[in-house]
Amino acid sequence: MSYFMGIDIGSGTSKGVITRDGELLAYHLLSSGVNYRMAAQRLREGLLAKASLSPEDIACTVATGQGSGSVPFSSQQVTDIRCCARGINGAFPPVRTVIDVQGQSTQVIRLSEIGQVANFVISEKCASGSGRFLDIIANVLQIELEDIGPLSLKSDNPVVFTTGCAVFGESEAVSRVSEGIPREDILAGVHRALAEKISALVNRVGLEEQCAISGGGGLNTGLIKRVEEKLGVQLLVPPQPQFVTALGAAILAEEVARTEELSEAG
Amino acid sequence: MYFAGIDLGSTMTKVVIIGEDEQVCASIIRHTGAEHRRLANKVMEEALEQAGLPIDEISYLIATGYGRINVPFADRQVTELTCHARGVASFFPGVSLAIDIGGQDAKGLKVRDGKLIDFVMSDKCAAGTGRFLEVLSATLGLRLEDLGDISLKSRNRVSISSTCTIFARQEVVNHLSDGVPLEDIVAGLHSAIASRVASMVRRLKVEPDVVFTGGVAKNIGVVKALEENLGCQVLIPEEPLLSGAIGAALLGKELTLKALAEGEPIQRGKRRLEEATFFK
Repeated sequence: MSYFMGIDIGSGTSKGVITRDGELLAYHLLSSGVNYRMAAQRLREGLLAKASLSPEDIACTVATGQGSGSVPFSSQQVTDIRCCARGINGAFPPVRTVIDVQGQSTQVIRLSEIGQVANFVISEKCASGSGRFLDIIANVLQIELEDIGPLSLKSDNPVVFTTGCAVFGESEAVSRVSEGIPREDILAGVHRALAEKISALVNRVGLEEQCAISGGGGLNTGLIKRVEEKLGVQLLVPPQPQFVTALGAAILAEEVARTEELSEAG
Repeated sequence: MYFAGIDLGSTMTKVVIIGEDEQVCASIIRHTGAEHRRLANKVMEEALEQAGLPIDEISYLIATGYGRINVPFADRQVTELTCHARGVASFFPGVSLAIDIGGQDAKGLKVRDGKLIDFVMSDKCAAGTGRFLEVLSATLGLRLEDLGDISLKSRNRVSISSTCTIFARQEVVNHLSDGVPLEDIVAGLHSAIASRVASMVRRLKVEPDVVFTGGVAKNIGVVKALEENLGCQVLIPEEPLLSGAIGAALLGKELTLKALAEGEPIQRGKRRLEEATFFK
């Protein structure tokens, strides 16, 4: 029985999974810190401990993400776009558009009929187009990140953020707080601002009926609702959305191993 | 006769009072803050006191800047673009391009014969504004006013690849943890802000004289980086924060003299030296 590992070293967090026959066996997440190599090492240890396996049990490892070059135990590096596409295709085969909302960037990927990357667009130049914007406002309001989505859904009157900048948005949030505006209205406003940026990205690659959301953004019910409102479609949310890219890497690792076996068999 | 200009910027509030001879008899610079935005009258009172004048002695009072609508005692509101152009031309009559980097925006003004003919502006993003330096000086644990001198010591400035202030902050933290000397990081930040503003003002064609105003013009490191990037000398007025307020006062004088010459009455506001109801 062979096991496979997908390691996704992101700029903020690192995610890893172990699979067997395409099934998710163990997953682990930690902060990447400044040393990607150490993060990869700790991620592997954590995953193996959770799955009660030893390094020899892993037949093949694929690394992805910004720090994919710092994973010495991987047999291949694959772009996070391809891994994300593969991961979502494994979870929802009919999906043709994936919105991947990360802590420092947002990717929108369009998949072909056979589940391969047909087109993609990345927003990574500006914090206000990523989950970081939510993080900054949550910090102003002193609310835990996991609570902001549900709280934002209580608002009937989202505030309008006048600039598209996370730094200016932070000052705007401070002003609204001092004016006594309810926190849920501020949160609903920032979720809507991010949803508008995401929707502009989606329109650049083209929206297909079956659309999914992955990355940490997929855990945020408030963001999902605002994006759905903006795009006019329902979003499919995979279980463990932040592990989709790592899962895709593990599925690709299985494919790599299978190809090698076939070529050895001649 | 006396003329006053009040420039309510996003970060600083400036008041200038001039006489008929255009000599400055009072100039005050205070933090705008959340309170001062409402209390522009306090800054005005301070300037009147410095000049030793009652408000009735002011023949004309023009408000300008981002918060100009929150000045209930002004006779008239004029955009900061017009006032800056007027003020800069009074210091440097040969000005062709005026660059103003304030706390929350950056502007390029094309000026001919002292008149504004074109402009570019950026106020949607903190990068390329004073805010960029404000955020990053806090990350570095340095005072904003010390950045310029520190950067001059740099021998090997870093390159900051992120445009976004938030992402640049992370880059700065990474450089710090790699042990890069402070001065090389600060010089890198100055180069980043200069290159962003330079690429914006290039749309207006860069010709001498180039004048640089706003709070960021007090930072010698940004001045040098801008000169390097634009490939020409950059002139700085004695007090780079006051060009808008001085321009407003000068415009007030022009309007008054024109009205007097034409025998028209001077249209004054109500001159209520009171709190603006900003938040209401």
